Amino acid sequence: MDAPILRFVGLLRQRGVRISPAETLDALRSLGAVSLERRDRVKTSLRATLIKEGRDEPVFDELFDAFFSVDDRRRGARHEHDHDHDHDQDEPVALTDVKVSEEPPEFDDPSHSHTPPADVAKYFDDDQLATAKRLHKDGTRIDLAGLSQELILGERKEGIEEAVAALRHVLHLRRLTNPGAPGKLALDGGEMVDADLTVGSADHLPALLPSSMLDDVQVEALRRQVDGVIANLPDLLRRYLEKLMELERPARTEDASPAYKAAFSEEERRRMDALLRRLARELRGAFSPRRAIAARGRIHASRTMRANMRYGGLPFRPVLVAKRQDRPRLILLVDVSLSVRNTARFTIHLVHSLQSLFSQVRTFAFVSDLVDVTPYLERCELDEALGMIFGGEVLDVDANSNYGHALATFHNQHLSVVNRRTTVLVLGDGRGNGNPPHVWALDDIRRRARQLVWLTPEPERYWHLGRSDLPAYAELCDRVELVRDLDQLEAVAGTVLRPI
Amino acid sequence: MEPLERFESVEEVVDRFRSFEYVTTEQVATVVYLATELQKPVLVEGPAGVGKTELAKTLASCSDRRLVRLQCYEGQDDTKALYEWDYGKQLLYTQLLRERIDTLLAGTTELAQAAERLRGHEDVFFSEHFLVERPLLEAIRSHEPTVLLIDEIDRADEHLEALMLEVLAEFQVTIPELGTLSSITQPWVIITSNTTRDVSEALKRRCLHLSLGYPSAERELEILRLKVPGIGEELLRKVVGVVRAVRELDLRKAPSISEALDWARALTLLNVPSLDREVIEETISLIIKHDKDVERVQQELPRLLGLIEAPAEHEHEHEHDHHHHGHHHHGHTHPTPEEEAYRRHAEGYFGAIGSEST
Repeated sequence: MDAPILRFVGLLRQRGVRISPAETLDALRSLGAVSLERRDRVKTSLRATLIKEGRDEPVFDELFDAFFSVDDRRRGARHEHDHDHDHDQDEPVALTDVKVSEEPPEFDDPSHSHTPPADVAKYFDDDQLATAKRLHKDGTRIDLAGLSQELILGERKEGIEEAVAALRHVLHLRRLTNPGAPGKLALDGGEMVDADLTVGSADHLPALLPSSMLDDVQVEALRRQVDGVIANLPDLLRRYLEKLMELERPARTEDASPAYKAAFSEEERRRMDALLRRLARELRGAFSPRRAIAARGRIHASRTMRANMRYGGLPFRPVLVAKRQDRPRLILLVDVSLSVRNTARFTIHLVHSLQSLFSQVRTFAFVSDLVDVTPYLERCELDEALGMIFGGEVLDVDANSNYGHALATFHNQHLSVVNRRTTVLVLGDGRGNGNPPHVWALDDIRRRARQLVWLTPEPERYWHLGRSDLPAYAELCDRVELVRDLDQLEAVAGTVLRPI
Repeated sequence: MEPLERFESVEEVVDRFRSFEYVTTEQVATVVYLATELQKPVLVEGPAGVGKTELAKTLASCSDRRLVRLQCYEGQDDTKALYEWDYGKQLLYTQLLRERIDTLLAGTTELAQAAERLRGHEDVFFSEHFLVERPLLEAIRSHEPTVLLIDEIDRADEHLEALMLEVLAEFQVTIPELGTLSSITQPWVIITSNTTRDVSEALKRRCLHLSLGYPSAERELEILRLKVPGIGEELLRKVVGVVRAVRELDLRKAPSISEALDWARALTLLNVPSLDREVIEETISLIIKHDKDVERVQQELPRLLGLIEAPAEHEHEHEHDHHHHGHHHHGHTHPTPEEEAYRRHAEGYFGAIGSEST
């Protein structure tokens, strides 16, 4: 009994479910309590003892079905075909003798080379196979991948072609968006315009881009730069790309001299100070309901008594308590790639000027990798630190934004800094360049944090253009605010940064 | 009646809960059974109003155990959850016993000697007599077996969770002045959480986990039938139909079972035979608690009404004419495609065992 369960737990762990030895023991004990005849109860028992997070349940369901039902079907198969295997009686889930494909993939274990019955395939659920992951070889020695490939390829050849065609479409666009090196794939680095347009969103373009937004002279100049590359695209698409490039231009000039640009003008400073003063006023007076021992405050009767038992119950040394000021903690996740750089600059500055108002401020900068830049901001002068961050000394700022990777990194390495007193501020446009968005990571962050606020420089109507993941992220946030400059930041800060 | 020591089987859990008007699912019953067998706390997570607290109450009443309830709130500390010293009583005793202390100390000449003699008696003031039991301590020190309900643990601060760990895992409480008090009877523990925040890993590890969601249509019908005895079958079906449809809308707070119950009770009291637009508009506030949500539901009313008006016809159509379904026709009395797929999957899967291995 124990071996299959341990193996099952091993499989779950491989898929990233955290299971402690104590929980494994619970699972074994629970199976002693329920009848093994009832599969649904076995499943419920294992789920209740092993799975403690909602997000792990799909993995559990999938693995449970694959792990235990395949086993059953195999037994059925064996019975029918009267195989004379006898080596795994005591280990019912060691699927050593199943082959699902006529031509076993090369990683298949050669020791089991007897040809399987061709009709073994019918014991596998097609639905399941279509979605089946290749179970890891160490977990159970069955490999569903070979068969599922065959099934998919056999049934839907045209599906593959469609997929290839779709890929090619995307490829064209990417190539076009990198005017610096036409003819090369923009795999890494450079000014990737997020132009993974679908045909559908091209239809929205006329409504979204009023012609007044385009300055003809600029357009013409841009067109010459990328001459020939864009020409064969539909007109609308071209205008959209030009528009985006135009939006990027200021950021690129800034890139040339980061240290200078990260500095603030006197006007900006003045307004920032005013903003800070106003915030400080609003933040004052937020108390936590908890009382803590303090030098001055009210007498706490029971604590006084307890402390004074040694003086025969005479309240010789009063214990005073006071409401403690609940200073929220702030975590800032800032995309420092080109597209949102201007806003990021303001926000980091603002937040670090707020050190006195928050009990803790930590800043993480990311493009693709995520780096804790708090030490830089603490050690150096603010302007200098910003110059270092945006200048690429701390992290690679020329990589493609990868929100999914950055969020997952934060989730894996820094999640412990988020608790119920923490406000998490994410700043970015949510354009992950088609990388997996890892929304679950943000969901986890949200659940631990007091509030989650997303600041984006893009108005909502642009979100669904160019494959932005922001709509998915936005659903999780307590609020999403449009912030492009100090004006808007000022408007938002007063309400957003208020504790509670 | 004698408090129940243990359930014989999962079926007994189902039956006993049913006789106290709580409709369990197989899953809930199995987890409850396991919890009582393994002596482990259950952490029940799910949206408000799906019967988490009710589960604990029913567990207590159906097993004739006393319910000890700890309602969590922000800023709660150990003196409210675990125990507190009854300082008033301590003070009183000190005063009253002053003379006795004098006689006790009579004959001592030095301070050190007096202190030494007093030390032999200090246990008097730190004994269980001066301890005020709060719910957690009360549950494990009770002489009759109890059900301990820790309600809405997500409202409590994390440090309180840490305090509970010892109680939940070992059923004991360590009091610095007294030592460790271990349990007299082992309580069955139900912890509920509305998941407004994550409960700590450490706590989850010590618990069985049960997530309660909104019930299936059948279960909801059964619950309403049990809890609202006077309700007509037609009204019942329509109420469930509307509530389930409203749940699908994107609302701030979707109506849960408790709201459906309130609504059904109110409609029965008002003696409404069936639901129509007017009735729904007048009573909608019973299931929808936010103004914006009410507006949203008002907009959708025609669709909702259409949905519950012709369920029989709909059934028929569904059988023969799968492809002509307009989107709005897809009733919520029917399983959604996902549910359908899951059901088929489950059937195939359980069916496969019987049919193919023999």
